[in-house]
Amino acid sequence: MRAFRAGARLQLDIIGGSPDYLMEFATAPLFTLIFLMILRAGGREDLSSYAVLAPILILLWRQALTISGEVIDSDRWFGTLEPGIGAPAPLHWVVTGRISAVSIMGLLGVPETWLVAYLFGSEVSVHHPVVLVLTVGATILATTASGLLMSTAFVATRSARTFQNSLSYPFYVLGGVLVPVSLLPDWVQPLSRVVFLSWSADLLRDSLQPASIENVSPRLIVILLLAGLTYAVGRRSLSYVIDRARSTGTVGLA
Amino acid sequence: VSSFLAGARVLKYAGLSGFQDYATMFTLKSWLLGWFLRVLAQVTFFALIGELIGSTARLHFILVGNAVMLASMEAMGAVPSTTWERRAGTFPLLIAGPTSPVVVLMGRSVQWLPSGVASATGAFFLLGPLFGLEMPFPRVLLVVPLIVLVALSTYMLGTFLGALVLRAMEARNLVFNISFMTLMAMCGVNVPLEFYPEPILSLAQVLPLTHGLLAIRGVLESAPASEIVLRVGLEAGVGAFWLVMALLAFRRYLEAVRRDGSIEFAA
Repeated sequence: MRAFRAGARLQLDIIGGSPDYLMEFATAPLFTLIFLMILRAGGREDLSSYAVLAPILILLWRQALTISGEVIDSDRWFGTLEPGIGAPAPLHWVVTGRISAVSIMGLLGVPETWLVAYLFGSEVSVHHPVVLVLTVGATILATTASGLLMSTAFVATRSARTFQNSLSYPFYVLGGVLVPVSLLPDWVQPLSRVVFLSWSADLLRDSLQPASIENVSPRLIVILLLAGLTYAVGRRSLSYVIDRARSTGTVGLA
Repeated sequence: VSSFLAGARVLKYAGLSGFQDYATMFTLKSWLLGWFLRVLAQVTFFALIGELIGSTARLHFILVGNAVMLASMEAMGAVPSTTWERRAGTFPLLIAGPTSPVVVLMGRSVQWLPSGVASATGAFFLLGPLFGLEMPFPRVLLVVPLIVLVALSTYMLGTFLGALVLRAMEARNLVFNISFMTLMAMCGVNVPLEFYPEPILSLAQVLPLTHGLLAIRGVLESAPASEIVLRVGLEAGVGAFWLVMALLAFRRYLEAVRRDGSIEFAA
Protein backbone atom coordinates (compact mmCIF):
# COMPACT_ATOMS: atom_id res chain seq x y z
CA MET A 1 0.00 0.00 0.00
CA ARG A 2 2.94 2.31 0.70
CA ALA A 3 4.18 1.74 -2.84
CA PHE A 4 0.72 2.58 -4.17
CA ARG A 5 0.58 5.83 -2.17
CA ALA A 6 4.12 6.77 -3.14
CA GLY A 7 3.28 6.19 -6.80
CA ALA A 8 0.18 8.38 -6.51
CA ARG A 9 2.14 11.18 -4.83
CA LEU A 10 4.88 11.01 -7.44
CA GLN A 11 2.36 11.23 -10.29
CA LEU A 12 0.59 14.25 -8.76
CA ASP A 13 3.96 16.01 -8.50
CA ILE A 14 4.74 15.21 -12.12
CA ILE A 15 1.34 16.44 -13.29
CA GLY A 16 1.74 19.70 -11.40
CA GLY A 17 4.95 20.43 -13.30
CA SER A 18 3.70 20.45 -16.88
CA PRO A 19 0.79 22.24 -18.56
CA ASP A 20 0.44 19.35 -21.03
CA TYR A 21 -0.92 17.17 -18.25
CA LEU A 22 -3.72 19.65 -17.63
CA MET A 23 -4.76 19.72 -21.28
CA GLU A 24 -7.93 17.72 -20.84
CA PHE A 25 -9.16 20.13 -18.17
CA ALA A 26 -8.74 22.95 -20.66
CA THR A 27 -10.65 21.20 -23.44
CA ALA A 28 -13.46 19.69 -21.31
CA PRO A 29 -15.30 23.06 -20.97
CA LEU A 30 -15.07 23.57 -24.73
CA PHE A 31 -16.51 20.11 -25.37
CA THR A 32 -19.32 20.86 -22.92
CA LEU A 33 -20.05 24.17 -24.61
CA ILE A 34 -20.08 22.63 -28.10
CA PHE A 35 -22.40 19.80 -27.06
CA LEU A 36 -24.74 22.16 -25.22
CA MET A 37 -24.86 24.52 -28.21
CA ILE A 38 -25.74 21.68 -30.59
CA LEU A 39 -28.52 20.45 -28.33
CA ARG A 40 -29.92 23.93 -27.72
CA ALA A 41 -29.80 24.84 -31.41
CA GLY A 42 -31.55 21.54 -32.14
CA GLY A 43 -34.27 22.26 -29.58
CA ARG A 44 -33.26 19.34 -27.36
CA GLU A 45 -32.27 21.01 -24.09
CA ASP A 46 -33.93 18.08 -22.36
CA LEU A 47 -30.74 16.17 -23.23
CA SER A 48 -28.41 18.66 -21.53
CA SER A 49 -27.33 16.00 -19.03
CA TYR A 50 -25.82 14.08 -21.97
CA ALA A 51 -23.73 17.13 -22.84
CA VAL A 52 -22.40 17.40 -19.29
CA LEU A 53 -21.54 13.73 -18.83
CA ALA A 54 -19.86 13.13 -22.18
CA PRO A 55 -16.91 15.53 -21.61
CA ILE A 56 -16.21 13.86 -18.25
CA LEU A 57 -15.95 10.43 -19.88
CA ILE A 58 -13.88 11.91 -22.71
CA LEU A 59 -11.57 13.51 -20.16
CA LEU A 60 -11.12 10.25 -18.23
CA TRP A 61 -10.47 8.25 -21.39
CA ARG A 62 -8.07 10.84 -22.82
CA GLN A 63 -6.12 10.90 -19.58
CA ALA A 64 -5.90 7.09 -19.57
CA LEU A 65 -4.67 7.24 -23.14
CA THR A 66 -2.14 10.03 -22.84
CA ILE A 67 -0.95 10.40 -19.25
CA SER A 68 -1.47 6.89 -17.87
CA GLY A 69 -0.57 5.31 -21.18
CA GLU A 70 2.85 6.93 -21.04
CA VAL A 71 3.73 6.18 -17.41
CA ILE A 72 6.11 3.29 -18.13
CA ASP A 73 7.40 4.66 -21.41
CA SER A 74 8.28 8.01 -19.85
CA ASP A 75 10.12 6.21 -17.04
CA ARG A 76 12.13 4.48 -19.72
CA TRP A 77 12.92 7.83 -21.35
CA PHE A 78 13.98 9.43 -18.09
CA GLY A 79 16.07 6.39 -17.11
CA THR A 80 14.05 5.78 -13.94
CA LEU A 81 12.66 2.42 -14.96
CA GLU A 82 15.81 0.54 -13.91
CA PRO A 83 15.77 1.77 -10.29
CA GLY A 84 11.99 1.24 -10.29
CA ILE A 85 12.45 -2.41 -11.20
CA GLY A 86 15.40 -2.81 -8.86
CA ALA A 87 13.57 -1.32 -5.85
CA PRO A 88 12.03 -3.71 -3.29
CA ALA A 89 8.52 -2.25 -3.74
CA PRO A 90 6.49 -4.14 -6.36
CA LEU A 91 6.52 -2.12 -9.57
CA HIS A 92 2.89 -2.87 -10.40
CA TRP A 93 1.73 -1.19 -7.20
CA VAL A 94 3.74 1.92 -7.95
CA VAL A 95 2.38 2.02 -11.51
CA THR A 96 -1.18 1.36 -10.32
CA GLY A 97 -0.81 4.15 -7.75
CA ARG A 98 0.37 6.55 -10.41
CA ILE A 99 -2.42 5.67 -12.80
CA SER A 100 -5.06 5.78 -10.05
CA ALA A 101 -3.94 9.31 -9.18
CA VAL A 102 -4.49 10.34 -12.80
CA SER A 103 -7.94 8.75 -12.90
CA ILE A 104 -9.05 10.24 -9.59
CA MET A 105 -7.77 13.66 -10.61
CA GLY A 106 -10.03 13.36 -13.64
CA LEU A 107 -12.98 13.76 -11.27
CA LEU A 108 -12.20 17.48 -11.20
CA GLY A 109 -13.87 17.46 -14.59
CA VAL A 110 -17.24 16.86 -12.90
CA PRO A 111 -17.62 20.28 -11.21
CA GLU A 112 -15.93 21.87 -14.20
CA THR A 113 -18.47 20.68 -16.78
CA TRP A 114 -21.35 21.27 -14.39
CA LEU A 115 -20.19 24.87 -13.95
CA VAL A 116 -20.05 25.40 -17.71
CA ALA A 117 -23.59 24.07 -18.03
CA TYR A 118 -24.73 26.38 -15.24
CA LEU A 119 -23.08 29.41 -16.86
CA PHE A 120 -24.64 28.41 -20.18
CA GLY A 121 -28.03 28.41 -18.49
CA SER A 122 -28.64 24.68 -18.66
CA GLU A 123 -29.92 22.94 -15.59
CA VAL A 124 -28.75 19.42 -14.88
CA SER A 125 -30.16 17.68 -11.83
CA VAL A 126 -29.05 14.48 -10.15
CA HIS A 127 -32.07 12.25 -9.55
CA HIS A 128 -30.25 9.13 -8.34
CA PRO A 129 -27.16 10.33 -6.43
CA VAL A 130 -26.23 6.90 -5.04
CA VAL A 131 -26.22 5.35 -8.51
CA LEU A 132 -24.21 8.29 -9.80
CA VAL A 133 -21.54 7.94 -7.09
CA LEU A 134 -21.32 4.15 -7.46
CA THR A 135 -21.05 4.40 -11.26
CA VAL A 136 -18.40 7.09 -11.06
CA GLY A 137 -16.43 4.88 -8.65
CA ALA A 138 -16.69 1.84 -10.93
CA THR A 139 -15.76 4.00 -13.93
CA ILE A 140 -12.64 5.26 -12.17
CA LEU A 141 -11.58 1.66 -11.48
CA ALA A 142 -12.19 0.68 -15.11
CA THR A 143 -10.32 3.75 -16.35
CA THR A 144 -7.37 2.87 -14.14
CA ALA A 145 -7.35 -0.69 -15.45
CA SER A 146 -7.47 0.59 -19.04
CA GLY A 147 -4.61 2.97 -18.29
CA LEU A 148 -2.49 0.10 -16.99
CA LEU A 149 -3.20 -2.00 -20.07
CA MET A 150 -2.38 0.89 -22.39
CA SER A 151 0.82 1.76 -20.56
CA THR A 152 2.12 -1.77 -21.07
CA ALA A 153 0.84 -2.05 -24.65
CA PHE A 154 2.62 1.16 -25.66
CA VAL A 155 5.89 -0.24 -24.31
CA ALA A 156 5.40 -3.79 -25.59
CA THR A 157 5.02 -2.76 -29.22
CA ARG A 158 6.28 0.47 -30.70
CA SER A 159 3.58 0.27 -33.37
CA ALA A 160 0.90 0.47 -30.65
CA ARG A 161 2.26 3.89 -29.75
CA THR A 162 1.63 5.04 -33.32
CA PHE A 163 -2.04 4.36 -32.78
CA GLN A 164 -2.19 6.06 -29.38
CA ASN A 165 -3.77 9.20 -30.76
CA SER A 166 -6.18 7.15 -32.83
CA LEU A 167 -7.83 5.41 -29.90
CA SER A 168 -9.92 8.42 -28.90
CA TYR A 169 -12.94 9.03 -31.13
CA PRO A 170 -13.49 5.40 -32.16
CA PHE A 171 -13.97 4.65 -28.46
CA TYR A 172 -16.21 7.68 -27.92
CA VAL A 173 -18.49 6.30 -30.63
CA LEU A 174 -18.27 2.68 -29.49
CA GLY A 175 -18.57 3.70 -25.84
CA GLY A 176 -21.69 5.77 -26.51
CA VAL A 177 -20.26 8.59 -24.43
CA LEU A 178 -22.69 11.10 -25.93
CA VAL A 179 -24.96 9.22 -28.31
CA PRO A 180 -26.33 6.06 -26.65
CA VAL A 181 -25.23 2.75 -28.09
CA SER A 182 -28.87 1.94 -28.88
CA LEU A 183 -28.71 4.54 -31.68
CA LEU A 184 -25.70 2.88 -33.31
CA PRO A 185 -26.15 0.32 -36.10
CA ASP A 186 -27.09 -3.16 -34.87
CA TRP A 187 -23.81 -4.72 -35.94
CA VAL A 188 -21.81 -2.25 -33.81
CA GLN A 189 -23.74 -2.81 -30.60
CA PRO A 190 -22.19 -6.16 -29.52
CA LEU A 191 -18.76 -4.57 -29.98
CA SER A 192 -19.80 -1.61 -27.83
CA ARG A 193 -20.80 -3.88 -25.00
CA VAL A 194 -17.23 -4.99 -24.37
CA VAL A 195 -16.19 -1.34 -23.92
CA PHE A 196 -16.79 -0.33 -20.30
CA LEU A 197 -17.58 3.24 -21.37
CA SER A 198 -20.86 2.09 -22.91
CA TRP A 199 -22.09 0.66 -19.57
CA SER A 200 -20.80 3.66 -17.62
CA ALA A 201 -22.33 6.21 -19.99
CA ASP A 202 -25.76 4.53 -19.96
CA LEU A 203 -25.84 4.24 -16.19
CA LEU A 204 -24.56 7.78 -15.62
CA ARG A 205 -27.21 9.20 -17.96
CA ASP A 206 -29.91 7.17 -16.21
CA SER A 207 -28.79 8.54 -12.83
CA LEU A 208 -29.64 12.06 -14.04
CA GLN A 209 -33.11 11.14 -15.28
CA PRO A 210 -36.16 11.11 -12.98
CA ALA A 211 -37.33 7.66 -14.18
CA SER A 212 -36.45 4.70 -11.98
CA ILE A 213 -33.40 2.76 -13.08
CA GLU A 214 -33.56 -0.91 -13.89
CA ASN A 215 -30.87 -3.52 -13.22
CA VAL A 216 -28.48 -1.18 -11.43
CA SER A 217 -26.50 -3.95 -9.71
CA PRO A 218 -25.97 -6.16 -12.77
CA ARG A 219 -24.90 -3.15 -14.81
CA LEU A 220 -22.45 -2.04 -12.14
CA ILE A 221 -21.13 -5.59 -11.92
CA VAL A 222 -20.48 -5.62 -15.67
CA ILE A 223 -18.36 -2.44 -15.35
CA LEU A 224 -16.44 -3.97 -12.46
CA LEU A 225 -15.98 -7.26 -14.32
CA LEU A 226 -14.63 -5.46 -17.37
CA ALA A 227 -12.36 -3.45 -15.06
CA GLY A 228 -11.13 -6.62 -13.33
CA LEU A 229 -10.51 -8.41 -16.60
CA THR A 230 -8.66 -5.43 -18.08
CA TYR A 231 -6.58 -5.05 -14.93
CA ALA A 232 -5.65 -8.76 -14.94
CA VAL A 233 -4.53 -8.54 -18.57
CA GLY A 234 -2.69 -5.28 -17.86
CA ARG A 235 -0.89 -6.73 -14.85
CA ARG A 236 0.13 -9.82 -16.82
CA SER A 237 1.32 -7.65 -19.71
CA LEU A 238 3.37 -5.55 -17.28
CA SER A 239 5.11 -8.67 -15.96
CA TYR A 240 5.72 -9.85 -19.51
CA VAL A 241 7.10 -6.48 -20.64
CA ILE A 242 9.43 -6.18 -17.65
CA ASP A 243 10.62 -9.82 -17.88
CA ARG A 244 11.30 -9.44 -21.58
CA ALA A 245 13.18 -6.17 -21.08
CA ARG A 246 15.28 -7.78 -18.32
CA SER A 247 16.13 -10.85 -20.36
CA THR A 248 17.02 -8.86 -23.48
CA GLY A 249 18.87 -6.15 -21.57
CA THR A 250 16.63 -3.38 -22.94
CA VAL A 251 15.16 -1.99 -19.71
CA GLY A 252 16.88 1.34 -20.18
CA LEU A 253 16.36 1.71 -23.90
CA ALA A 254 14.84 5.08 -24.73
CA VAL B 1 15.16 37.93 -58.72
CA SER B 2 18.04 35.96 -57.26
CA SER B 3 16.97 36.69 -53.67
CA PHE B 4 13.43 35.61 -54.56
CA LEU B 5 14.77 32.35 -55.99
CA ALA B 6 16.93 31.84 -52.91
CA GLY B 7 13.88 32.41 -50.74
CA ALA B 8 11.85 29.93 -52.77
CA ARG B 9 14.64 27.36 -52.44
CA VAL B 10 14.77 27.84 -48.67
CA LEU B 11 10.99 27.56 -48.49
CA LYS B 12 11.19 24.30 -50.44
CA TYR B 13 13.75 22.84 -48.05
CA ALA B 14 11.81 24.05 -45.02
CA GLY B 15 8.78 22.23 -46.40
CA LEU B 16 10.85 19.10 -47.06
CA SER B 17 12.08 19.22 -43.50
CA GLY B 18 8.46 19.34 -42.35
CA PHE B 19 7.55 16.37 -44.51
CA GLN B 20 10.48 14.44 -43.01
CA ASP B 21 9.05 15.15 -39.56
CA TYR B 22 5.70 13.87 -40.78
CA ALA B 23 7.27 10.72 -42.22
CA THR B 24 8.65 9.84 -38.79
CA MET B 25 5.11 9.99 -37.40
CA PHE B 26 3.19 8.07 -40.04
CA THR B 27 3.65 5.51 -42.75
CA LEU B 28 0.89 5.25 -45.34
CA LYS B 29 -0.41 2.18 -43.50
CA SER B 30 -0.45 3.79 -40.05
CA TRP B 31 -2.00 6.95 -41.51
CA LEU B 32 -4.84 5.02 -43.12
CA LEU B 33 -5.46 2.49 -40.34
CA GLY B 34 -4.69 4.84 -37.46
CA TRP B 35 -5.15 8.50 -38.20
CA PHE B 36 -7.71 8.33 -40.99
CA LEU B 37 -9.94 5.91 -39.07
CA ARG B 38 -9.70 8.26 -36.12
CA VAL B 39 -10.84 11.29 -38.11
CA LEU B 40 -13.67 9.29 -39.68
CA ALA B 41 -14.75 8.35 -36.16
CA GLN B 42 -14.46 12.01 -35.10
CA VAL B 43 -16.84 13.20 -37.82
CA THR B 44 -19.16 10.26 -37.15
CA PHE B 45 -19.18 11.05 -33.44
CA PHE B 46 -20.41 14.60 -34.02
CA ALA B 47 -22.75 13.69 -36.88
CA LEU B 48 -24.48 11.14 -34.66
CA ILE B 49 -25.56 14.00 -32.38
CA GLY B 50 -27.84 14.97 -35.27
CA GLU B 51 -29.28 11.47 -35.04
CA LEU B 52 -29.72 11.93 -31.28
CA ILE B 53 -31.54 15.21 -31.86
CA GLY B 54 -33.71 13.46 -34.43
CA SER B 55 -33.00 15.82 -37.32
CA THR B 56 -31.45 14.75 -40.61
CA ALA B 57 -30.86 18.38 -41.58
CA ARG B 58 -28.87 18.93 -38.35
CA LEU B 59 -26.98 15.71 -38.91
CA HIS B 60 -25.93 16.87 -42.39
CA PHE B 61 -25.04 20.35 -41.11
CA ILE B 62 -22.79 18.89 -38.40
CA LEU B 63 -21.32 16.31 -40.76
CA VAL B 64 -20.22 18.92 -43.31
CA GLY B 65 -18.91 21.25 -40.59
CA ASN B 66 -16.84 18.60 -38.88
CA ALA B 67 -15.47 17.10 -42.09
CA VAL B 68 -14.20 20.53 -43.21
CA MET B 69 -13.04 21.23 -39.66
CA LEU B 70 -10.45 18.45 -40.08
CA ALA B 71 -8.52 20.61 -42.55
CA SER B 72 -8.41 23.41 -39.98
CA MET B 73 -7.56 21.08 -37.12
CA GLU B 74 -4.53 19.68 -38.89
CA ALA B 75 -3.43 23.06 -40.25
CA MET B 76 -3.33 24.24 -36.64
CA GLY B 77 -0.61 21.62 -36.20
CA ALA B 78 1.62 24.52 -37.25
CA VAL B 79 1.37 25.76 -33.65
CA PRO B 80 3.46 22.98 -32.08
CA SER B 81 5.58 22.20 -35.13
CA THR B 82 6.83 25.79 -35.37
CA THR B 83 8.44 25.26 -31.98
CA TRP B 84 10.18 22.09 -33.16
CA GLU B 85 12.59 24.30 -35.08
CA ARG B 86 13.64 26.01 -31.88
CA ARG B 87 13.93 22.68 -30.11
CA ALA B 88 16.24 21.50 -32.89
CA GLY B 89 18.53 24.39 -31.94
CA THR B 90 18.80 25.77 -35.48
CA PHE B 91 17.80 29.37 -34.73
CA PRO B 92 21.33 30.82 -34.46
CA LEU B 93 22.25 29.23 -37.80
CA LEU B 94 19.06 30.46 -39.44
CA ILE B 95 19.65 34.00 -38.24
CA ALA B 96 23.25 33.92 -39.45
CA GLY B 97 22.13 32.69 -42.89
CA PRO B 98 21.53 35.10 -45.78
CA THR B 99 17.80 34.34 -46.13
CA SER B 100 15.28 35.52 -43.55
CA PRO B 101 14.54 32.85 -40.92
CA VAL B 102 10.90 33.84 -41.26
CA VAL B 103 10.85 31.97 -44.59
CA VAL B 104 11.87 28.77 -42.81
CA LEU B 105 9.40 29.29 -39.99
CA MET B 106 6.54 29.89 -42.44
CA GLY B 107 7.43 26.81 -44.47
CA ARG B 108 8.44 24.19 -41.94
CA SER B 109 4.87 23.15 -41.05
CA VAL B 110 3.36 22.80 -44.53
CA GLN B 111 3.18 19.03 -44.08
CA TRP B 112 -0.09 19.59 -42.22
CA LEU B 113 -1.76 21.05 -45.31
CA PRO B 114 -1.90 17.97 -47.57
CA SER B 115 -2.61 15.80 -44.56
CA GLY B 116 -5.51 18.02 -43.44
CA VAL B 117 -6.89 18.32 -46.95
CA ALA B 118 -6.71 14.53 -47.40
CA SER B 119 -8.46 13.93 -44.05
CA ALA B 120 -11.19 16.48 -44.76
CA THR B 121 -11.92 15.49 -48.36
CA GLY B 122 -11.70 11.78 -47.51
CA ALA B 123 -14.13 12.15 -44.61
CA PHE B 124 -16.47 14.35 -46.64
CA PHE B 125 -16.69 12.08 -49.68
CA LEU B 126 -16.80 8.83 -47.70
CA LEU B 127 -19.15 9.75 -44.89
CA GLY B 128 -21.39 12.14 -46.86
CA PRO B 129 -23.01 9.40 -48.97
CA LEU B 130 -23.08 7.04 -45.96
CA PHE B 131 -25.20 9.53 -44.02
CA GLY B 132 -27.38 10.35 -47.03
CA LEU B 133 -25.92 13.81 -47.73
CA GLU B 134 -26.94 15.14 -51.15
CA MET B 135 -23.88 15.80 -53.27
CA PRO B 136 -24.83 17.67 -56.45
CA PHE B 137 -22.36 16.58 -59.13
CA PRO B 138 -20.23 18.23 -60.53
CA ARG B 139 -20.69 21.22 -58.17
CA VAL B 140 -19.65 19.10 -55.24
CA LEU B 141 -16.12 18.91 -56.67
CA LEU B 142 -15.73 22.60 -55.80
CA VAL B 143 -15.58 21.48 -52.19
CA VAL B 144 -12.01 20.25 -52.73
CA PRO B 145 -10.38 23.62 -53.64
CA LEU B 146 -12.48 25.27 -50.93
CA ILE B 147 -11.10 22.84 -48.36
CA VAL B 148 -7.59 23.72 -49.60
CA LEU B 149 -8.43 27.40 -49.08
CA VAL B 150 -9.68 26.71 -45.54
CA ALA B 151 -6.52 24.75 -44.75
CA LEU B 152 -4.33 27.57 -46.06
CA SER B 153 -6.09 30.36 -44.20
CA THR B 154 -6.06 28.34 -40.96
CA TYR B 155 -2.37 27.62 -41.49
CA MET B 156 -1.71 31.35 -41.32
CA LEU B 157 -3.44 31.59 -37.95
CA GLY B 158 -1.52 28.48 -36.84
CA THR B 159 1.85 30.00 -37.74
CA PHE B 160 0.88 33.25 -35.99
CA LEU B 161 0.09 31.32 -32.80
CA GLY B 162 3.24 29.28 -33.39
CA ALA B 163 5.24 32.53 -33.34
CA LEU B 164 3.60 33.44 -30.03
CA VAL B 165 4.28 30.08 -28.36
CA LEU B 166 7.96 30.28 -29.28
CA ARG B 167 8.14 32.34 -26.10
CA ALA B 168 6.37 29.67 -24.04
CA MET B 169 7.24 26.41 -25.72
CA GLU B 170 5.81 24.18 -23.00
CA ALA B 171 2.37 25.57 -23.82
CA ARG B 172 2.50 24.53 -27.49
CA ASN B 173 0.18 21.51 -27.24
CA LEU B 174 -2.21 23.30 -24.93
CA VAL B 175 -2.48 26.26 -27.31
CA PHE B 176 -2.92 23.90 -30.26
CA ASN B 177 -5.80 22.03 -28.63
CA ILE B 178 -7.57 25.07 -27.28
CA SER B 179 -7.23 27.00 -30.53
CA PHE B 180 -8.64 24.35 -32.85
CA MET B 181 -11.45 23.59 -30.43
CA THR B 182 -12.24 27.29 -30.26
CA LEU B 183 -12.56 27.30 -34.05
CA MET B 184 -14.83 24.29 -33.71
CA ALA B 185 -16.96 26.16 -31.20
CA MET B 186 -17.11 29.57 -32.88
CA CYS B 187 -16.93 29.19 -36.66
CA GLY B 188 -20.32 27.69 -37.44
CA VAL B 189 -19.09 24.11 -37.50
CA ASN B 190 -21.82 22.62 -35.33
CA VAL B 191 -24.45 25.35 -35.14
CA PRO B 192 -25.44 28.08 -37.62
CA LEU B 193 -23.69 31.42 -37.11
CA GLU B 194 -27.01 33.08 -36.23
CA PHE B 195 -27.00 31.05 -33.03
CA TYR B 196 -24.08 33.03 -31.59
CA PRO B 197 -24.41 36.26 -29.60
CA GLU B 198 -23.15 39.42 -31.36
CA PRO B 199 -19.60 39.58 -29.86
CA ILE B 200 -18.85 35.94 -30.83
CA LEU B 201 -20.39 36.46 -34.25
CA SER B 202 -18.11 39.47 -34.87
CA LEU B 203 -15.05 37.54 -33.74
CA ALA B 204 -15.98 34.61 -36.00
CA GLN B 205 -15.76 36.96 -39.01
CA VAL B 206 -12.00 37.35 -38.56
CA LEU B 207 -11.31 33.69 -37.88
CA PRO B 208 -10.35 31.26 -40.62
CA LEU B 209 -12.84 28.51 -41.50
CA THR B 210 -15.97 30.66 -40.96
CA HIS B 211 -16.32 32.01 -44.51
CA GLY B 212 -14.78 28.98 -46.23
CA LEU B 213 -17.28 26.72 -44.52
CA LEU B 214 -20.13 29.03 -45.54
CA ALA B 215 -18.87 28.85 -49.14
CA ILE B 216 -18.89 25.04 -48.97
CA ARG B 217 -22.38 25.00 -47.51
CA GLY B 218 -23.36 27.40 -50.32
CA VAL B 219 -21.99 25.01 -52.95
CA LEU B 220 -23.99 22.14 -51.49
CA GLU B 221 -27.18 24.21 -51.27
CA SER B 222 -26.76 25.63 -54.79
CA ALA B 223 -26.39 29.19 -53.52
CA PRO B 224 -25.78 31.98 -56.10
CA ALA B 225 -22.21 32.06 -57.42
CA SER B 226 -21.80 35.68 -56.27
CA GLU B 227 -22.42 34.66 -52.67
CA ILE B 228 -19.87 31.85 -52.89
CA VAL B 229 -17.28 34.12 -54.52
CA LEU B 230 -17.82 36.69 -51.76
CA ARG B 231 -17.21 34.06 -49.09
CA VAL B 232 -14.10 32.81 -50.90
CA GLY B 233 -12.78 36.37 -50.99
CA LEU B 234 -13.47 36.86 -47.29
CA GLU B 235 -11.77 33.58 -46.37
CA ALA B 236 -8.72 34.53 -48.45
CA GLY B 237 -8.73 37.99 -46.85
CA VAL B 238 -8.81 36.49 -43.36
CA GLY B 239 -5.91 34.21 -44.35
CA ALA B 240 -3.93 37.21 -45.67
CA PHE B 241 -4.60 39.10 -42.44
CA TRP B 242 -3.22 36.24 -40.31
CA LEU B 243 -0.25 35.86 -42.68
CA VAL B 244 0.71 39.49 -42.05
CA MET B 245 0.22 38.99 -38.32
CA ALA B 246 2.42 35.86 -38.42
CA LEU B 247 5.20 37.67 -40.29
CA LEU B 248 5.11 40.53 -37.81
CA ALA B 249 5.08 38.17 -34.85
CA PHE B 250 8.06 36.17 -36.16
CA ARG B 251 10.03 39.33 -36.91
CA ARG B 252 9.32 40.73 -33.46
CA TYR B 253 10.21 37.48 -31.77
CA LEU B 254 13.51 37.09 -33.64
CA GLU B 255 14.51 40.67 -32.83
CA ALA B 256 13.70 40.10 -29.15
CA VAL B 257 15.71 36.86 -28.79
CA ARG B 258 18.69 38.40 -30.56
CA ARG B 259 18.54 41.37 -28.24
CA ASP B 260 18.21 39.45 -24.96
CA GLY B 261 20.58 36.62 -25.94
CA SER B 262 18.06 33.82 -25.48
CA ILE B 263 18.27 32.66 -29.06
CA GLU B 264 20.01 29.41 -28.24
CA PHE B 265 17.62 28.36 -25.53
CA ALA B 266 15.61 25.37 -26.66
CA ALA B 267 13.14 24.64 -23.86
